[in-house]
Amino acid sequence: MTTSPLELRRARPLLGTLVEIRARGGDQAVLVRAIDSAFGAVARVHGLMSFHRARSDVGRVNRLAWHAPVRVHPWTYAVLSEAQRVALASDGLFDVTVAPRLVAHRLLPALRGAPAPDRRATYRDIRLLPGFKVRFARPLLLDLGGIAKGFAVDRAVEQLRAAGVHSGVVNAGGDLRCFGSLTERVHVRHPQCPALLVPLADVRDGAIATSAAYFSRRRYAGREVSAQVHPRRPGFVPEHSVSVAAAHCVTADAWTKVLLLGGARLLGRARRAGAFGHLLRAGADR
Amino acid sequence: MVDFVRWLAPVALVPVAVLAAPHCYAAQYLTLAQAQAAMFPEAREFAPVPVRLSRDQAREIEQLTGVQVRVQEQPVWQVRAVDGPIGWFIVDEVYGKHELITYAVGLNADGSVRQIEVMDYRETYGYEIRNPAWRRQFSGKRQGDPLKLEQDIRNISGATLSCRHITEGVKRLLAFHQVVLR
Repeated sequence: MTTSPLELRRARPLLGTLVEIRARGGDQAVLVRAIDSAFGAVARVHGLMSFHRARSDVGRVNRLAWHAPVRVHPWTYAVLSEAQRVALASDGLFDVTVAPRLVAHRLLPALRGAPAPDRRATYRDIRLLPGFKVRFARPLLLDLGGIAKGFAVDRAVEQLRAAGVHSGVVNAGGDLRCFGSLTERVHVRHPQCPALLVPLADVRDGAIATSAAYFSRRRYAGREVSAQVHPRRPGFVPEHSVSVAAAHCVTADAWTKVLLLGGARLLGRARRAGAFGHLLRAGADR
Repeated sequence: MVDFVRWLAPVALVPVAVLAAPHCYAAQYLTLAQAQAAMFPEAREFAPVPVRLSRDQAREIEQLTGVQVRVQEQPVWQVRAVDGPIGWFIVDEVYGKHELITYAVGLNADGSVRQIEVMDYRETYGYEIRNPAWRRQFSGKRQGDPLKLEQDIRNISGATLSCRHITEGVKRLLAFHQVVLR
């Protein structure tokens, strides 16, 4: 008798979105434990990098790193290091210090106890010091919303693998990574109409992330649209949708933001960083 | 280029008008029994104690949370282990503009959240379907078609919906516990 391998599929609300995990291979008990620890890793990233929680690493850094170096969790440090790498490679198009504008637009809540951010502050004012310490050269507000989800997906995959799961998919609000021997078909929403799903790619052992403004524009009327903040062009609203494939989800996640803002001319740079971009625009109707 | 991805979508997508009926994405994660077992593996019994909120109770919950109580019936189970009650299992539904989510919340005996699991997720684009201008995009040929339920679509990359409604729902259920179950 042949039986197809058991697959478990679970979803929990985390990181402000629904995080879905699918895991195959191994018996029920192994899969349940593996999925639990994978969600645990995502919850941990959420706890460390939430902008809203005053006691998260991000909350503490925003309040204190202008005054003195602040020690953060190695995961937070790793995300910041990756953010700085992408910022450098993209000439600052990816910049985790645009939070003040998001606060001004009421996209993020004002942070009590944080010094008033300097308008001139950019990613260059973040100093990553030895011993997992962070220091700001100017008062600024950090928001890891554009990269933490991808990082969380990578940590979840790590947990699943360590627990002995053969293959699976972790999808955090559209930032997804699959691992193992199976090829996964990934769909994307049509930029003009999110109810239409279009086959995007076949992925095997890799990550794909997509950024677009369609939902936000529709659902939150100007609330999330401006979540894509161009560091040098206020009011810029991207029209197309960008998907990026990479070995790690953190890379894919960060580079979608760059390509959404910078467009096709940055595809080469992205490629050199291991991020393979695919810009999608809606075909004109008739 | 790279061996882990093969792009299928063209850079310029097919116009909306040419595509067939819109999809309706749905996923079932857990049945009721599975959700109960997943949250309380040590449970001996799930005793149903369905609650119907009085108007006063509903108002109190709304005042405590600022979240509207839309349904007065709430499916609730008291969870019992060998030594007696260990918590509550509550099933709830939230509706967003596009999504309908059935989820379960497990509460410990002290009212703290033990776990949240999504049971069913379904995207509905009813407002678009009801909108004649939007329907006309489909060339008029398929107006009467029901939504195509896509069983084979498993992975969607790109903005999914926020879980704001679940967060509000859990807030409401915590107040529900305080007002009704404690």
